[in-house]
Amino acid sequence: MDHLLSWIIFVPTLGAILCLFVPKRQVRVVAVTASLAALILSLLLFPTFLGGGEGAAGYSGSHYGELHHVERHEWITGSNLAIEYFLGIDGLGFPLLILTTLVAFLACLASWNMESWKVGKGIRAYFVLFLLLETGMLGVFVSLDFFLFYIFWEVMLLPMYFLIGVWGGERREYAAIKFFLFTLGGSVLMLVALVAMYFYSDGALASEMQRTGADAVASGYRDGVALTHGTFDLIELATNKVIQGHFNAASTVFLGLKFSTCMFMFLFIGFAIKLPVVPFHTWLPDAHVQAPTPVSMILAGVLLKMGGYGFLRLCYPIFPTGGETWAFLLAVIGIVSILYGALCAMAQTDFKKLVAYSSVSHMGYVLLGIAVMTEAGFQGAMFQMIAHGISSPMCFFLVGVVYDRAHHREINRFGGLWMTMPRYGTLATIGFFASLGLPGLCGFIGEVWVILGTFAAKDNPAMPWAPTMAVLAASAVVLTAGYILWLIRRVYLGREREEYQSFPDVSARETMILVPMAVLSIALGIFPMQTVFNFTNGTLDNMLRHVVQVIGLVP
Amino acid sequence: MPASNLLTQLLPELILLVGACGLLFLGATRLAASRSFLPFAGVLVLVAALVVTIRRGEPDGSFAAMGLWISSLTHYVRWVALSVGILILLVNWYLPVQEERGEFVALILLSLLGVLLTASANDWLVLFFAIELVSIPTYILIALSRLDQRAAEASVKYFFLGALSAAILAFGLSFLYGASGTTQIQHIAGGVISLTLPSTGELGSIAMIGFLFVLAGLAFKVAAVPFHVYAPDVYEGAAAPITGMLGFVPKLAGFVALIKLFAAIGWNLPIEIKWLVWILAAVTMTAGNVIALLQDNVKRMLAYSSIAHTGYMLVALLIGPVAGEGPMHDGVAALLFYIAVYGAMNLGAFAMIASFGRKHGELETLDDMNGIASQAPAVALALAICVFSLMGFPPTAGFIGKLYILTAAFSFSADHAFAQPLLVLAIVAVVNTVISAGYYLRIVAAAYVGKSSTPANPTGGFTLRWGLAVCSLAMLVLFVWPRGLAGQASRATAAIHDSVSAAHTVVRVDTDFGNAQVDRTSP
Repeated sequence: MDHLLSWIIFVPTLGAILCLFVPKRQVRVVAVTASLAALILSLLLFPTFLGGGEGAAGYSGSHYGELHHVERHEWITGSNLAIEYFLGIDGLGFPLLILTTLVAFLACLASWNMESWKVGKGIRAYFVLFLLLETGMLGVFVSLDFFLFYIFWEVMLLPMYFLIGVWGGERREYAAIKFFLFTLGGSVLMLVALVAMYFYSDGALASEMQRTGADAVASGYRDGVALTHGTFDLIELATNKVIQGHFNAASTVFLGLKFSTCMFMFLFIGFAIKLPVVPFHTWLPDAHVQAPTPVSMILAGVLLKMGGYGFLRLCYPIFPTGGETWAFLLAVIGIVSILYGALCAMAQTDFKKLVAYSSVSHMGYVLLGIAVMTEAGFQGAMFQMIAHGISSPMCFFLVGVVYDRAHHREINRFGGLWMTMPRYGTLATIGFFASLGLPGLCGFIGEVWVILGTFAAKDNPAMPWAPTMAVLAASAVVLTAGYILWLIRRVYLGREREEYQSFPDVSARETMILVPMAVLSIALGIFPMQTVFNFTNGTLDNMLRHVVQVIGLVP
Repeated sequence: MPASNLLTQLLPELILLVGACGLLFLGATRLAASRSFLPFAGVLVLVAALVVTIRRGEPDGSFAAMGLWISSLTHYVRWVALSVGILILLVNWYLPVQEERGEFVALILLSLLGVLLTASANDWLVLFFAIELVSIPTYILIALSRLDQRAAEASVKYFFLGALSAAILAFGLSFLYGASGTTQIQHIAGGVISLTLPSTGELGSIAMIGFLFVLAGLAFKVAAVPFHVYAPDVYEGAAAPITGMLGFVPKLAGFVALIKLFAAIGWNLPIEIKWLVWILAAVTMTAGNVIALLQDNVKRMLAYSSIAHTGYMLVALLIGPVAGEGPMHDGVAALLFYIAVYGAMNLGAFAMIASFGRKHGELETLDDMNGIASQAPAVALALAICVFSLMGFPPTAGFIGKLYILTAAFSFSADHAFAQPLLVLAIVAVVNTVISAGYYLRIVAAAYVGKSSTPANPTGGFTLRWGLAVCSLAMLVLFVWPRGLAGQASRATAAIHDSVSAAHTVVRVDTDFGNAQVDRTSP
């Protein structure tokens, strides 16, 4: 047992505490140092995953249920209850953890020169909240006890609420409350699922113990460990045959509904609000438009990924039959998100809103890829999350750069910025083309994999019309190209406008933020195996095998 | 029982009584020095009573005489009421005008004395007197709390409705006496419940009428819908610090009395009563939260929030006790945990309102709270903690409290007759959390996001700020370490388990998928 993950999570907290005490001028330095420290610490995880050759399919990387850097202690214990401080990492959490520390570091740099600092307002509170937010996000990706996961998930909301509400734009109060209420609405459903899953797992183990006469049930993934009571352990819930059998059996009911179907939906809505998918997406444009640029970067880069991560960590491994039942509906919602998000993006005249709606569209691919339950689908969804986590913060920062100078975001009032700001124009083109899904850049791989995965589901009886869906998803690429190219034409190309002549090109700090994301967009596009797939596929394929097996076993 | 034994058992109550009388005399003197010393003396009395309570440790439940039963429940209520009482005095330190301070502090002590006696009452008459002892001082406290016509109006309104509820309560108690022929609540040793018919073990019709009236009378005290109408007006009229007390002290007494009422029939509630309480809980929390959404006056908003919290606690009451399981399964333990947490967080929210004033007096509307955060970051932070705790949001104790109620509701096995309605009720409670976030967030947003051209005037002095700080700190500490309070709460229910299981055979639940290990008495 080592404490590396705890260090990664709580280094930002230490930074936040330090920020409370250092002089005001030093706060930014402390915050950037803390987030850089978290980034460096998270990079120390690479050797574990580069270890190579342990996966069955020859992938380096981890298996589902094969955890690294595990840390577990009892936290809240009752007469028959154990909530654990249980951290661990596998191929699902690892890339998202790296993404989080990276985006948080870049967003911290992006916060260096905010407007409010000139009047000296709230700099200390801002960075304290920012670092606490980073702790919350990191905690979500590595905590494997459902209760701990839930705490991190909720706690992360508070700093986000204040970051949008205090440092946001004109309608910040509305946006912050809307964001909070939507997410809270989803998470209370998750809380119901959390409590229900605990008691149902308790019941499953109790009846198994009664049947066999033993006083414990062997753990599903830990050698030499036996369970006597219900558990919040997410891996145990997914791998223990007794619990899985009970959870997914048709005879297990919750309020008269089939348990797995019902719980899957509760969890799904919680995560779908975060992702967001179409009926639940309306908080996103508001929150993005009102949030300050660095907070938008975090929101798009990391927070949305928690929804996708939640699907992959909770919904599918624990309730495979629920996934099967809802597969078609979820895929349809995914397609609708892709198309509707793209159409909305096309209609926007606000630069930031356009990028926000493009996120809805891109996250639709994640949902579609996961819903079809094929290897390529899962892999593509995961890749799409990472790719979007790089391209989308970049786009938001690009919007922020021009907003800092022009103080408005009306697309139609811009023009010819590439001529005025050549370096900015080049980087912006890379960022938006990555978002567009140009072959060779990161957005392409995820979309193609998802579409391939959707085709591959054509023999699945739960997924009628899979080829049609794949065609629809593929055709959405045209819409994406439409709004991005139109955007580039209106903002960066065309006649130079006089009022923007005096704009300075991107500064060294801004370049420092944009270049890593630009480099990664290209690297992910050209070396998808080495940058993402090798780390994630072992876990994802193993999980999919488990899902398919459970669906096969349970009629 | 020898008299000396009675005196030692009731030492905390006696300290309060003597202290209150002493303060009344001190307050009557014309020495200015003694008057400024009065709140401090009040705190000393409470600390002395608290020290005696804690040093005495948990009673073994063997003392029962004179209509009193000193049980583990008494112990829990004693130290919770006295601890929160100290905070209440800290928050009320500067109230009211100098000349009336002695009476004011003495009345707070007397009201707390009523809570303590409610917790040890084992006779309907003693219970009635104890509950009135809680209420009567509060009528005067409201009128004394500030020189404002609204305070006088609130006091009168509260008095008349309180008198009405007392009449209903007394009327119901007379029926219970008629049904059983005794005023004793529980026969401690034998577990004989005289209210139930010997033939069927159910409530007779006379006892049923009495039960319903007592329930209605106590619903007034805890401000459950539809007996809540006084709460917003009274909370708005009284000064904010005393409102923090009004939200907690009568509610604690009311719930302790409800626990005793339900325990008196062995928690063997007829199905009609179960549904009645179910509806009462669902309507109370939903109406409280929805109407709170429409308020612009912060005190009215918090009044409706306190009504909503009554609803959550009624859920826990309906779940009922389970022996030896702790608040995760035991509804009564969850209720006792929740009400202690609620007392502190509610007081904290009102203390924040009391800590600033505007030109027209107290902070009234949400707009009055604008800009508090930039003016006083520490106070705003404490407010935020208390409000997020009221919302039931981690990392605060309010979350743990809600979680306990939720888990207790879920811990019924699926084939239990009332398991499904309880699940639905738990989901209603959870949905209410989201509704409540709608107005709690407006309070936080007003303090943090709102801008004000004029700064608010700090009022209330440092004791109030200390009280606020302790309330908010307690919320964080109890989140990280809930076991201490939870353990106390589950031990406090031991007295109830004894009588319940003695009165009623334990139902052993066996289902197709287990839960066989949970012994659960029928709630």
